[in-house]
Amino acid sequence: MLQVEDLDAGYGESLAVHAVSLHVDGGEAVAVIGSNGAGKTTLLRAICGLLRPRAGTVTFNSESLVGEPAHRIARRGVAYVPAERHLFPAMSVQENLELGAYPLRADRRQLELVFELFPRLRDLLSQQAGTMSGGEQQMLAVGRALMSRPGLLMLDEPTTGLAPILAEEAYASLGVLRGEGTTVLVAEQQVPLALDLADRAYVIEDGRIQMEGPAGDLQGNPDVRRAYMGIA
Amino acid sequence: MAVVFDGVAYGLQLGLLAVGLTMIYGLGGVLNLAHGQFAVLAAIAIAVLSDRLPTPAALVAGLAIAALAALATDATIMRAVYRLDGEARVLLSLLLTIGLAFVIDGLLIYNYPFTQLKLSVPGPAVDILGVPMRRGSLAASALALSALALLIVFLRYTRRGRAVRSVIQDEEGAQLCGIDPARVRTAVFALSGALAGLAAVAEGLTSSVSATDGTELTILALIVTVVGGLGSVAGALLAGLLLGLVYTMSQVYIGTYVTLVILLLTAMVTILIRPAGLLGRGV
Repeated sequence: MLQVEDLDAGYGESLAVHAVSLHVDGGEAVAVIGSNGAGKTTLLRAICGLLRPRAGTVTFNSESLVGEPAHRIARRGVAYVPAERHLFPAMSVQENLELGAYPLRADRRQLELVFELFPRLRDLLSQQAGTMSGGEQQMLAVGRALMSRPGLLMLDEPTTGLAPILAEEAYASLGVLRGEGTTVLVAEQQVPLALDLADRAYVIEDGRIQMEGPAGDLQGNPDVRRAYMGIA
Repeated sequence: MAVVFDGVAYGLQLGLLAVGLTMIYGLGGVLNLAHGQFAVLAAIAIAVLSDRLPTPAALVAGLAIAALAALATDATIMRAVYRLDGEARVLLSLLLTIGLAFVIDGLLIYNYPFTQLKLSVPGPAVDILGVPMRRGSLAASALALSALALLIVFLRYTRRGRAVRSVIQDEEGAQLCGIDPARVRTAVFALSGALAGLAAVAEGLTSSVSATDGTELTILALIVTVVGGLGSVAGALLAGLLLGLVYTMSQVYIGTYVTLVILLLTAMVTILIRPAGLLGRGV
């Protein structure tokens, strides 16, 4: 579904991502794990068009995404939930969700699916997004992304700013989505949560992929455990 | 009472003059210092065309000309502006649009030195709550009020209006929803030209507009925009009403010659108390 080959990307003079190759197949959940500053965000931004890749190819459903502006990549079915969420703070939950479906026009059924996943959003429908708690904003950000019925849901650190229990809840809802067959690519430094969710994972350090494999294998890998899971 | 009515009437006009400017700022962080010149362009076009066309047709054509001039501006000099970010973007927008303002001023003053837009609504004054109001002033208020109401309905309740607000509130979020900020900016730039033209029509109904008025209108729009909060449509409306009341009251009770000074003082005091303007950011 998504195929990234030898991608270079970065801001200014330096490259934050070097020759990264990865792929995500339909229905798969894939995690990109690594510490802060490893290049995860740059990688996702280069895929969704918010940052133009310096080199390499990105293909989605066998169409090239390189050089396409972000709004067109979104219309092609790649939904991106940034760590800072980028909600519309002075708009209601309902308006935020409806804008998520902007190219398709809002769809009642899709709205119901989002409410099934996040019943809390139904109660907050007329609340302004900027006045909600971090956990609620995270739900809304994922809900807004789902409104476009994306082929691929990409999330950057969905646990940012969330208390541990809310982080677990966020991953529980991603687990539900995965169970329903949504294709997910998540970048995360809370490695245990991400590896529990994912089928496969890539370990990224200094902008390069260091390791890749089934999530279960990486969970048992002593290097990964030491570096990211706080286990000696 | 009469002063209050006149103040509200003028305030609505100021609000109408400023909304376009504030939306453009909200969308792209740029200021258009040729805003008043677009208004005058529409006014002169209407005045010239109404010799040949029936008034309604001349009005529509004048507004269309202002919108097209704005569109041309967006397609040329604003392209260069939007390529930059942050402070450089604001600065370049100021430099290029002030240049554009000089060009439009020069062309209009050279070609139409004596043309004036003066629209009269014949008939005796209408009594409103015991205050006799001139028909022209009422028509101007009705025009400004309905244009502003339509704009607010568009922004709040239509799909495209929401897209405009989404770019103002979070450009990256809008892109992620499949909205093209550049297209939204272009459409709103054209709309702001037409709105400036409408403000000139309202001005023409209450007094007159001539080719030399561009700079004054730009400055008025700028003051209203800054007092209301850059990027806030509701703020522009509120600030328009506040400054309209201050303007007419100071004209009646203090004197015309210090009115502009008092207007600027009001703006300064407001900004000192609330640096982000009355309604800060958000639509």
